[in-house]
Amino acid sequence: MNSTKLKRQQTGRRLKFTNDDLWGYIFIAAAMIIFCVFTLYPVFSAIYTSFFNYKPFGSEFVGLKNYADTLKYSKFNLFYKAALNTLIYTVIVVPLSLLLSFSIAVMIMPFKKKTQSVFKAMYYLPGIASGVALSVVWLWLYDSSPDGIFNRLLGIFGIPAQNWLSSTKTSMLSLIIMALLSSHGVRIITYIAALLGIDNSYFEAAELDGATFFQKVRYIVWPLVKPTTLFLLVTGVIGSFQVFMNAYMMTGGGPDNSTTMIGLLIYNNAFVYGKYGLACAQAILLAIAIAIMSLFQFRLMGVDVEY
Amino acid sequence: MATTGLYSQHLHNRKVLYLRNTIIAIILIILAAATLFPICYMILSAFGPNVSTAGNMRTILPSRLTLESFDAFFHFSDYSLRWILNSFIVASGAVIGNVIFASMAGYAFAKIRFKGSSFLFGLILVAMMIPYQVTQVPLYILMVQKFSMTNTYAAMILPSLCTAYNIFLCKQFFSGLPTPLIESAKIEGCNQFQIFIKIILPLSKTVLAVMAINTFMSSWNDFFWPFLVTNDPAMYTIQVGLKQFKFANETLFAPMMAGATISALPMFVMFFALQKYFMEGVTIGAVKG
Amino acid sequence: MKKFITMLLVCVMVLGLFAGCGNGSTQQTTAATTAAPAADATEAPAQETEAAPDTIVIMAPPVTGNYLENLKTWANDFHELYPNLTVQVIETSWGDHNDKLSTMAQAGEAPDIAEISSNALGTFVEMGVAIDIAQYMSADRLADYDENALKYLSLEGTTYGLPLYLTIQSIGANKTMMEELGIDVAKIQKEGWTYEEFLDVIKQGTKDGCYGFVFANSGVTASDMLYIFGAGAGLSNTFTPDLKYTMTSENMLTMLSAVEEMTKSGYMPNYGVEAGQRMVMCQTGNAMIFGKAMPLFENNFKKNNAALEANDGTAVENSLPMDYAFLPVPTMDGCAESCYGTVDGLIAMRNKNTTDEHLKNVLLFMDYICSGERIATCMNELYLDPVCQSGRDALVLEEGRDADNLATAARCIAMVQAPPEGVTTEMTATAKKLMDEQIVPKFQLLLAGETTAQEVYDHICEAAYAAFGADNCVSGKLG
Repeated sequence: MNSTKLKRQQTGRRLKFTNDDLWGYIFIAAAMIIFCVFTLYPVFSAIYTSFFNYKPFGSEFVGLKNYADTLKYSKFNLFYKAALNTLIYTVIVVPLSLLLSFSIAVMIMPFKKKTQSVFKAMYYLPGIASGVALSVVWLWLYDSSPDGIFNRLLGIFGIPAQNWLSSTKTSMLSLIIMALLSSHGVRIITYIAALLGIDNSYFEAAELDGATFFQKVRYIVWPLVKPTTLFLLVTGVIGSFQVFMNAYMMTGGGPDNSTTMIGLLIYNNAFVYGKYGLACAQAILLAIAIAIMSLFQFRLMGVDVEY
Repeated sequence: MATTGLYSQHLHNRKVLYLRNTIIAIILIILAAATLFPICYMILSAFGPNVSTAGNMRTILPSRLTLESFDAFFHFSDYSLRWILNSFIVASGAVIGNVIFASMAGYAFAKIRFKGSSFLFGLILVAMMIPYQVTQVPLYILMVQKFSMTNTYAAMILPSLCTAYNIFLCKQFFSGLPTPLIESAKIEGCNQFQIFIKIILPLSKTVLAVMAINTFMSSWNDFFWPFLVTNDPAMYTIQVGLKQFKFANETLFAPMMAGATISALPMFVMFFALQKYFMEGVTIGAVKG
Repeated sequence: MKKFITMLLVCVMVLGLFAGCGNGSTQQTTAATTAAPAADATEAPAQETEAAPDTIVIMAPPVTGNYLENLKTWANDFHELYPNLTVQVIETSWGDHNDKLSTMAQAGEAPDIAEISSNALGTFVEMGVAIDIAQYMSADRLADYDENALKYLSLEGTTYGLPLYLTIQSIGANKTMMEELGIDVAKIQKEGWTYEEFLDVIKQGTKDGCYGFVFANSGVTASDMLYIFGAGAGLSNTFTPDLKYTMTSENMLTMLSAVEEMTKSGYMPNYGVEAGQRMVMCQTGNAMIFGKAMPLFENNFKKNNAALEANDGTAVENSLPMDYAFLPVPTMDGCAESCYGTVDGLIAMRNKNTTDEHLKNVLLFMDYICSGERIATCMNELYLDPVCQSGRDALVLEEGRDADNLATAARCIAMVQAPPEGVTTEMTATAKKLMDEQIVPKFQLLLAGETTAQEVYDHICEAAYAAFGADNCVSGKLG
C-alpha cells in the first residue's frame, strides 16, 4: 500500500496540492508541453477537421456527414471490408509475434554473454536494412514465378508454386508472414530487458520446490514480464490497426481488396482522392476502435499489475 | 547473471547441457537467417557492380566484388556525407530528448501519485491511436506556417523529442520497480528528484539503453517527415537522400545500397556501444531489504 | 475535483500553445520584412525594368535522370532574362512526389508550380488549389501547345496547366527473336494488328522456358494492362462525347474475355509478375513481347547491348544481345486502332502568396520550361515527341535512333484520344474511385484466374449503375 494514498484517506478530500502532486507535475512538465504541441494539437485539429468538407482555402462545415458516409452500408463501401481485413490481420499477427519474440528472448538467455550479444545483434540489426532493400527482398521472396525463393522452397517439398501476393488465397497470409519475420528486433530486445530484471532469488526458491523449466517460465517469468507484455500488446495492437506500409508497398490493397487495410483507405482518401475531412473521420473511428480494444487489454492484463 | 536461474536444470550434466544449448542455438540461427536475409542482400549488392534497377538482382552473390558503387554513391551528390551527418544529428537529438523527458514522465506516471495522472496518461495513450496519416497535415501547418521551421533540424527533431511510445515504455518498466525502495528513500529525506537521479536511473540502464537504440533507429529510418520539412538538399537526411536514386524508369540500385550500407555503420556502432547495458542484470534484490 | 484541475491544466497548456503560435507568426513576419530589403539590395544593380521582385517556387520529381539538374540551369537562364524573378526549385523523389504535394496543398502551402500526372488533376481541382492559367498568359503562347494535350489538363472547360509530354504506353518486343520467327515486325509497326494476329504471334513465341508475352500485372500495375488493352478495345476514354460512362459497354466484356483467354492460354505467365521483372524477362530471352512498354526502352536495350559487348559486368545477368521494337496495341472486335496515353504536366497552384501579379510571373516561367529547347532536351531523353510547336521546332534528334520505333511512336501519339469536354470534377472523382476500388480489384482477380470475364463485367456494371445511374452508362457496343 502506498503511504500517500493512506494519508489521503486520512485527511479526506483536500484542495491543496500535495508534495507529490507538485513533483509529479514537475516531472511531466517538459514531456507534456512537447506532447501537447506536437501530438495533441494535431490530434485535436484532426478531430475538428473531421466535421468539415476540408479545403485548404475555405472549408465547409458538414456536421457528421463524413462519419455517416464512412459508415453507410453498401456493397461497394470498402470501409467494412477494410475493417474486417485489419481485424483479421491484428488478431493473427499480434499474439503470434508476441509469442515468437518472447520465445526467442527466453531462448537467448542460457548462453554466455558473448554468444548472447551475437544473437541479439542477429535479431536486432536487420532493422537497419534500408526500406528499399527490404521491399526488393520481400518481393523476390514472394515472386510468384517458379524461380521465386518461397516457391523454390515449396518445390523441395513437392508443393506446387503459389501465386503469393497476386492470389486472394495467399495475399493476406503473405503479409502476415512478412510482419512476423521482419520486425521482431525491437520486441525481442524489450523482452530481454525485462527478463534481465527478474531477480534470481525467485528461481532459487522455485528450484527448492523442484519446479521444471516450463513451470518456471509459466509461474515466474510470464507473470513478472507482464508489464512489458502489456506494453508490447497495446503498442502492437495500435501499430497493427494502423498498418499501412506493408500493404502499400507489397500489394496496394489487392487482389480484389483482400489486403486493403483501414490505414491504406485513410491514406488514399487523404492523399489520392483529396478528401482530407473524410480521412480524418475514418481515423477517429479507427482510434475509437483501438481505444476500446486497449481498454479491454488493460482489463485483461492489468489485474495484477501495480500502477 | 541474474537469470541463469531460469536455466539451472542441467548445470550438473555437461553432456545434456551442451546438447540442450546446441538445439536452442540451431533454432535461433534458423529463425535469425530469415531476419538477416535483407541486410545480407543489401550489403552484398553494395559491393557488387554498379547496376541499375533492382529487377536485375536475382542472386545473393554479386557477379564480382568491387567498390565502384560506393564511388558512385559519393559522387552522386555534393551532400552525400552531409546527409549521414544530418541523420546523425536528428537521431541523436531525438535520443537525448527521449532519454531525459520520457524517462522523467514515465517515472512520474509509474511511481508518483499526483492528481490527474491517470487522465493525462490516458490522453497520451489515446493520442497514439490516431494514425499519423491524418495528423501530419496539421503538424506540417504548425511547423511550416506557424513556426517557419522549413529546412531546420528543429523541425525534424521536435515532433519526436518525447514520444508517447517511450513514455509508455518507461512507465511500464518503472512500475515493475519495488515501491518500498522509494518509500524508504523518502523517509531518509530524499526528494523525488534525488530519488530519480540516485536510485531509479542507476537501476534503469537497461531500459534506457533499449529506448535509446529504438529511438535512434526509428528516427534514422524515418523518411516521410524529414522529406516533408526539407527542401534544401543540404538538409536532407540519409533516407531522403537515398530516395533521390530512384527515377521514373530506373533506379540506381547498387549505389543506393552502398549508401544504405554506409548509413548503417553508425547504428552498428551505437548498438555495440550500448550492448553492455543490455547485459547488466538489475540488482534490485540487494537493496530490497 | 481531480478531473477539474487536470482539465484546467490542459486548458492552460493549450493556451500556452496558441501563445507559442502567435510568437511564431510574428517572428515569421519580421523575418519576411528583414529579408525583403536584403533581396532588393542584391538585385538592385540588375534591376533595370520597374517590375517588382518575385520568387517563384517549383516542385518536381526527376522525370528524367537529368531533369532536376536541367531545371536548375533553366531557372538561372530565366533569372538572367527577367532579373526581378527568382526561381526556387524543390526537388522531390520519384514515387513520393504526390504525397508531399498533397500534404503541402492541404496545408495551404503548395508550391507555385508542381509537376502532376493528368490523372491527379481532379484531386487538386476538388481541393480548390488549382488555378485557371488562361487568364494569366497570352493567348498566342497558349496556342503553341497542342489542343489534344491541353485537354488532359483541363476540366469543365478550364485549363489548369501546361503539358510537359504525352506519354504513350503500349507493348514492346525482342525484335531480333520475332524476325527470326519470320514475323513481319515492320508491318505490325506500320499498320497495327488485330488481337487474333497478336495471339498467333505469342503462340509462336512460346517455347520451352520462354513465354510469348509477359505483362507486369501484380498489385496496382494491373490497371496498366486494363488501360492499354482497353485502348485496343475502343475504351480509350472513361466517358463518351455525350458524357456516358464507357466501362459498362460490351467493349469491356470483349477486352476482359481476351485477357481471360490470354491468362489461360499458357502463352503468358498465369501468375503475378513484378514491374521490375518484365523487361528483364525479355532481355534474358524468357519472354518475347512485354508490357507495359514505352518508346524510351530502346535506350535500355541499347545500353545493355553495349554492356554485353564491353563485358564489364553491368549488363543484365544472363541477358542476350537483341534489338527492341515498340509495338502498337492489338485491336479487338473490329475497333479502330488506338493507343493509351496520359499527359504529365505542370500546374499552377494557390498558396498564401498568390496574387494576380504573382501568377503572371509564375505562368511566364511555366511557359518558359514547357516550350522551346527546354522541352526538346527533355523529350530527347524520353524518346517522345514534344507536344508544342516551339518544342518541335527546336528538336534536334539524337543520332542512332531506330527509325521504325520513331515512326511507330509518332503514329501512336497521333492516335491517342483526349478526354471529352464537359466532364465534371465530380464525375472524374467518381470514375477514379470506381476504377481503383471496384474495377481494378476484380481485374486482379481475373488475372489470378479466380473469376471469369463475365463475373467481372457484371460486377463492373452493378457498381457503375450504383454510382452513375444506369441511364448514364453505355450499354451495348460503343461507337
